[in-house]
Amino acid sequence: MAGLTKTFFIKARDFVHAGEASIRVQQILKSMHLDAVLIRRIAVCSYEGEMNVVMHGADGQLVMTLETGRLEIDIRDGGPGIPDIDLAMRPGWSTASDDQREMGFGAGMGLPNMKKNADRITIECPPGNGTRVRMTFDLGPGRGAA
Amino acid sequence: MTSVHHTRYVRFDEGRCTGCAACLRACPTKAIRIRDHKSIRIVDQCIGCGACLRICPAGAVSAAVDARPDTIGRGHVAVALVSPVLYAQFPGVMPGGVLLGLHRMGFTHTVDMSFFLEMFQYAAEAFITRNRAEPTAPWPLISPVCPVVVRLIAFQFPSLLPHLLPVLRPVALMAREVRRRIIPLHAPHAPVVLYYLNPCATMAVTPGSGHRAAETAIGINAVFIDLKRHVEQILGSDMLPFATGGFEFESCSSGNAALGAMPGGEIANMDVDRSLSVHGLEETVAYLHQIEMGRLKDIEYIELRTCRESCLGGVLTAVDKYLARRNVQKMIDEFGLGRRLPRKTVLRLYARGEFQPEHDPSSLTRLFGGRKAPLSLEEAQRVEATLTAIAGRDCGACGAPDCLSFAEDVVRDGARMSDCMWVHARCEAQKEKPS
Repeated sequence: MAGLTKTFFIKARDFVHAGEASIRVQQILKSMHLDAVLIRRIAVCSYEGEMNVVMHGADGQLVMTLETGRLEIDIRDGGPGIPDIDLAMRPGWSTASDDQREMGFGAGMGLPNMKKNADRITIECPPGNGTRVRMTFDLGPGRGAA
Repeated sequence: MTSVHHTRYVRFDEGRCTGCAACLRACPTKAIRIRDHKSIRIVDQCIGCGACLRICPAGAVSAAVDARPDTIGRGHVAVALVSPVLYAQFPGVMPGGVLLGLHRMGFTHTVDMSFFLEMFQYAAEAFITRNRAEPTAPWPLISPVCPVVVRLIAFQFPSLLPHLLPVLRPVALMAREVRRRIIPLHAPHAPVVLYYLNPCATMAVTPGSGHRAAETAIGINAVFIDLKRHVEQILGSDMLPFATGGFEFESCSSGNAALGAMPGGEIANMDVDRSLSVHGLEETVAYLHQIEMGRLKDIEYIELRTCRESCLGGVLTAVDKYLARRNVQKMIDEFGLGRRLPRKTVLRLYARGEFQPEHDPSSLTRLFGGRKAPLSLEEAQRVEATLTAIAGRDCGACGAPDCLSFAEDVVRDGARMSDCMWVHARCEAQKEKPS
């Protein structure tokens, strides 16, 4: 059966509205009474992903797909991509500007946090074609079932 | 006939309600609905924030506090439990003068809550410094002082319950001390009534739940006029405004007594560098979202208050929050800051486990968790589809706070799509089109 799909636009450098897509995703999951800790893991991942677009990427989108027992967060942007994924996965590695660090971002924990909290993560960044991060979460048997 | 609807904290008077929908939108738990233009329904948890009371232009919402000032001390021993906000209502008057005024109003005992806030601050400091090096602890710890914040977390952010500082709240410390020391002086020979003099509508009093003493709550605004008269008389006489003997916490002469009511007042005196103070309902919700999404981990302690200007902005105060803040500032300038309790004593109590909270925070979800049944995936899909079909403007004309809540009502409770003004207008436009 078809799942529930929602698409959110993410605007680059818009720190004021950053995080709204993630909050809306949480709202849906909370209305379904998913486990609080699971929702938090999903929230951390979608927020970090969203912030990556806001800070490093060009305008992009977040697509949430909710199916029986499974949730996918698919984040795409048209930015410069990640030159070295292994390096970006290393905790503490960051290319954030000083300004961004002053705002409390750029601790170099974005991708490591996403990897830690998602059940599966794939990162694609073909040169010159932006970045696509897909994360999936197992909702457990019977959860999110129709 | 008018009917009155209750939550644990507020009352809605349908006779006065004009159906303007202001309260619907103000409610952080989206618990209020208006059916058929002015019939109020409560469909979810009330956390006692007072936002509906604050915003209602018709005076249809009141706090569910029932004590009346004219019966204080009649046939019982009246004990005033004094929020520090009370001192901020009286410019140029020392806390002791205010407490003496309360005695004149008929209270036998006046318990100064700021004393217990100070105890709490020492204990909080001790907990934070001892766990500082623990990277896996749930940073930032969140202040449990504002009861609305605690309920908001239980309702909307249950994953943050472990962030609540596990130290007994000042109001609980105060209640325990009153039970131990004051009530035995009178009960069972004379009936004792505890009056919480509150700046906000957050106190739920269950009749008969007291420990050998009845408990009741009364707004600061309800005692203000009487108390002001007594305080002015005291100031006009030659009498020095010092209270009355009794226990140390029954009088107050320090300038920082009202500090705890001010924004940042809880953390100002605490020896915790990486702390933060946030006040206001929207701001509190926004920060809780941030914490839930994994930010602010470098902060150790965060003071959250759902009222603007912290407790000085409570909905049952008498003096405007900005004037009250000025009063507190002046009081501090005049009487200075200082702590009344020796740190060592509090740390000894801490070591004895006197600050252990009585309840596990997870028990809060039972009390304050959402009341709505979970949506199935299919229902969640229908909610989103309905939301798209409405394409509304969160106008509230349907009697729900916003389009999302309305869409949920349609799916859950069979609210009629035709109640939506936008849907209705589009239907009418369709009919008028020549075919």
